[in-house]
Amino acid sequence: MPNLLTTTNLSRSYQGTQVVVPLDLQLMRGDILGLLGPNGAGKSTIMRMLSGDLAPSHGKIEICGYDLIAQSRHAKQQIGYLPERPPLHRDQSVDEFLSDCARLRGLNRLQTSQAILQTKQRCGLEQSGRRLIRNLSKGFQQRVGLAQAIIHNPRIIILDEPTDGLDPAQIRQVRELIRELSDDRGVILSSHILPEIQATCNRVVILQQGKTVYAGDITPPEQTCYRLGLEQNPDEALITALPAVSATERLHTDYFRISLQAGCRPNELVQQILSQGWGVCELTPETISLEQLFLQATTGPSQ
Amino acid sequence: MSGYLAWIEWRRLMRTPLAWTMLGLGLCLLSWQFLGTLEIFNGMQPASRSLGLSHHLGLQLYGLTSVLVLIITPILTTRSFSDAFRNGSYALLSSSPLSNVTILLGKFFGILLFQLLFVLMPLILSLSLFSGTQLDVGLLLAATLGLLLLSASFTAIGLYFSVQNENPGIAAAGSYGLLLLISLLDQNTESGSFIHWLAWPSHYLDLQLGLVRISDLAYFLLVILFFLGLALHQLDNRRIQG
Repeated sequence: MPNLLTTTNLSRSYQGTQVVVPLDLQLMRGDILGLLGPNGAGKSTIMRMLSGDLAPSHGKIEICGYDLIAQSRHAKQQIGYLPERPPLHRDQSVDEFLSDCARLRGLNRLQTSQAILQTKQRCGLEQSGRRLIRNLSKGFQQRVGLAQAIIHNPRIIILDEPTDGLDPAQIRQVRELIRELSDDRGVILSSHILPEIQATCNRVVILQQGKTVYAGDITPPEQTCYRLGLEQNPDEALITALPAVSATERLHTDYFRISLQAGCRPNELVQQILSQGWGVCELTPETISLEQLFLQATTGPSQ
Repeated sequence: MSGYLAWIEWRRLMRTPLAWTMLGLGLCLLSWQFLGTLEIFNGMQPASRSLGLSHHLGLQLYGLTSVLVLIITPILTTRSFSDAFRNGSYALLSSSPLSNVTILLGKFFGILLFQLLFVLMPLILSLSLFSGTQLDVGLLLAATLGLLLLSASFTAIGLYFSVQNENPGIAAAGSYGLLLLISLLDQNTESGSFIHWLAWPSHYLDLQLGLVRISDLAYFLLVILFFLGLALHQLDNRRIQG
């Protein structure tokens, strides 16, 4: 399957300072790719380059086979972009604004009215069509911003902090919408909110000062570990000595984080602990969280 | 696509209180000037009337309109790029499948559509006299053409400053500065010199008096093309420089 979006050696510098070092990204159909990084890591710069707002200093962006610079009209037809601040015209009504957006992206009159109906339904704006954008709450303005990004049915949707300013119920709706949209499209979203990325994305790129420090699946499967609570309080070294255990880390007085040897199952661990007479009071699987991944990647491995 | 963008820009502008305030105030001021011109012309002895009523209207009414256009244009042009850069709404255009030329021309004609309302105001006021007196319609049309070209030139200059600055205040100040400069260049300079030629009032005056000269038309077209070209260059640069 051809990639929807490919960047090769993408980099960007502002007045001699390199903000994004060469970056290679691939986005396929069904992908929800999260760009994660502390503030100032270059997320928004990457988003702006991908949307065509900013030209890269070096490298190439290909969108559905079209070069974003050389064949920008074809390429941009396939992009829906929601920047950090939703680009709204506050004096217009929602319907009018969405209709303008659709027409500018090349839809004809008939397609426009259908697209408006469908998009409003998707974004929960059915009741707000005639209201002025300036009178909408921040959450609804964000929805209008999302609506303008998807109204022309683009193949690639680029969302810069899409759930910013929404209440928990709305955040959930947006997540569901993103998942629904990703069925036959590719979505790139950036955030510095970890649970946000964890809840929506299937792949993540972690950035630190413009460098990619991690790129891959959200939960590397080989890194599953367990949180173990014991009635007794043995020494860490004794636990590590058990045949099923590859590493132990003491969390609080009675809790440990255990990594199992390859191929071992948790019931072997429990049997070995019981045979030592330590008594198990808790055993919880703990997949390595994105937060750990993030902290490891941005501050160096925390061994 | 530029045409559609122009239509959108115009419609957006007409949703703002700013546009209606400008139109309302403009109409009040022009009506006042119109009535004043009529009263003075009426009060003159027929023997001392060296110029016809159409000439008086051309000079007085179209003169004031040119000043009004000079005042409103930077306010309008500043909105179209500086403000859009600043509040982030420019991303809507930059991520749409539109070239920079399309965007620039769309914004240019959008503002010109609004200014057309201003340009038509003195014409409509003058033509209201049609039933009572004989008017030189040719002169009025020439003055209207002059006003339209003047508006387009001011808009091109304003757009250049607007593209150049993300700060609306600086963009407006820059436009006012240059517009006032080219309004004053023909004072204290030798007529026939290049500097004198750069000023717009003498070119506009010919049209106000009903003289349509190729050299004057060329002046306005050159100004428009020159500043639109600079603005386009700046817009392309912006994508590269960020």
